[in-house]
Amino acid sequence: MDFLKEGLLKTDPGLFLWTIITFLVLLLILWKAAWKPIVEALDSRAERIRGDLSNADKSRQEAEQLLVKHKELMDRAKAEALEVIEKGRQEADKVRNEIIEKANRDSREIVDKAKNEIMRAKENALAEIKSEIVVISTEIASRLINKHLNPDDQKAFIEETMNKIKTVQ
Amino acid sequence: MLRFLQFINGSITSGGGGEESLYDIVLHHITDHPIEHGFIGEINKLFFDEKIFGIFDMRITKWVLMLWLTMALSLLVFIPLAMKIKKSSMGSKSRWVNFWEALIGFIHDEIVQPNFDHHYIKTAMPYFCGLFFFILFANFIGLVPGLATATGNLAVTGGLAILTFLGMVLIGTIKQGPLWIIKGIVPHGIPVFLFPLLWVIELIGLLIKPVVLTVRLFANMTAGHIVIIIFLYLSIMFHNYFVGIGSVTGSLMIYMLELLVSFIQAYIFASLSAMYIGASMHAH
Repeated sequence: MDFLKEGLLKTDPGLFLWTIITFLVLLLILWKAAWKPIVEALDSRAERIRGDLSNADKSRQEAEQLLVKHKELMDRAKAEALEVIEKGRQEADKVRNEIIEKANRDSREIVDKAKNEIMRAKENALAEIKSEIVVISTEIASRLINKHLNPDDQKAFIEETMNKIKTVQ
Repeated sequence: MLRFLQFINGSITSGGGGEESLYDIVLHHITDHPIEHGFIGEINKLFFDEKIFGIFDMRITKWVLMLWLTMALSLLVFIPLAMKIKKSSMGSKSRWVNFWEALIGFIHDEIVQPNFDHHYIKTAMPYFCGLFFFILFANFIGLVPGLATATGNLAVTGGLAILTFLGMVLIGTIKQGPLWIIKGIVPHGIPVFLFPLLWVIELIGLLIKPVVLTVRLFANMTAGHIVIIIFLYLSIMFHNYFVGIGSVTGSLMIYMLELLVSFIQAYIFASLSAMYIGASMHAH
């Protein structure tokens, strides 16, 4: 074992012991001061990140479900809205038609009433005219009678008067 | 190999005379020697003059200083880091913190997790983090010009490997009972008459594991440094600027390679230690 005493392969027991002492001292100090806290911190961080990731995954799935639900709701709402609009339109159509019909009816009634009124007024007017004619003719007759009439003139006059009355009528 | 280099070197520089040989230069750079001057020299004379138990020469050497430098660097990096990580529970935005977190994550994912049961990872992490960064820092400190590679020494790598070995034996004994050394290391389901043979083989394997760890780290760290020094020495040898260009380029490329090797060897040492210790937790 002479090669361990000198030269390249020299193995010094003192250095051997120093190595062990140095390394163990360093290990003990760092174990307490560095490695344990570091490993614990890293582990807990990894744990938390894992938890966060699974939470995020869960949240994503929930969100997706919600989204699907909302889409369904939206679709249903849209369909309902369309239905309501359609119904409204039909209703409106109906009401419009009714109103138009009613208006037509009313106008027709008004026209009828007006016609009746006019007819009645005309009849009234004719009746009045007739009575007036009788009065006037009576007056004319009385005046004529009062005057000296020759027979020819009288005849012509009566004819004329009669014609007048006819035309009026 | 080195004797061969010495021979070549001797034959090349014999004409020059008076210069240090390549072997001496290389050996001076990669071997340890106690510090005899200055403050530390005084301490050495005062406290460590006598060998403890007759064998442990505890004089502070350059390599011991490198180990302490590694320790100081580790403390300087990781204690403030731990505070910062603890403070920002949502993860820091600082690149510095994230860089070290990534490395620690690498140790967790690549070294500890494949070799340990789920509930032992938390206990095993500190040891392997410490081991990995200790070797890594020692390797990198060795690449700083003027400093030395602590891990390029059999005593240092041996010390670290012995801890792995003790870890294997202790964990095996605690987890599988004292009979682990007889039953635990031999695979199950083998014929009874093969048992003694396999037990001997497995026992030798158990003893060889730390030796292999020791030699691998030592050889890798030493070889690269020898090559770097030899490349640089070429220009001294030939007294030629053009050789200088080549030798510096070559040395620089090996240096880059060494940066990679430093990381890889730290990873391999920690990874194999984890594999060995992890394997002794269960009978196989």
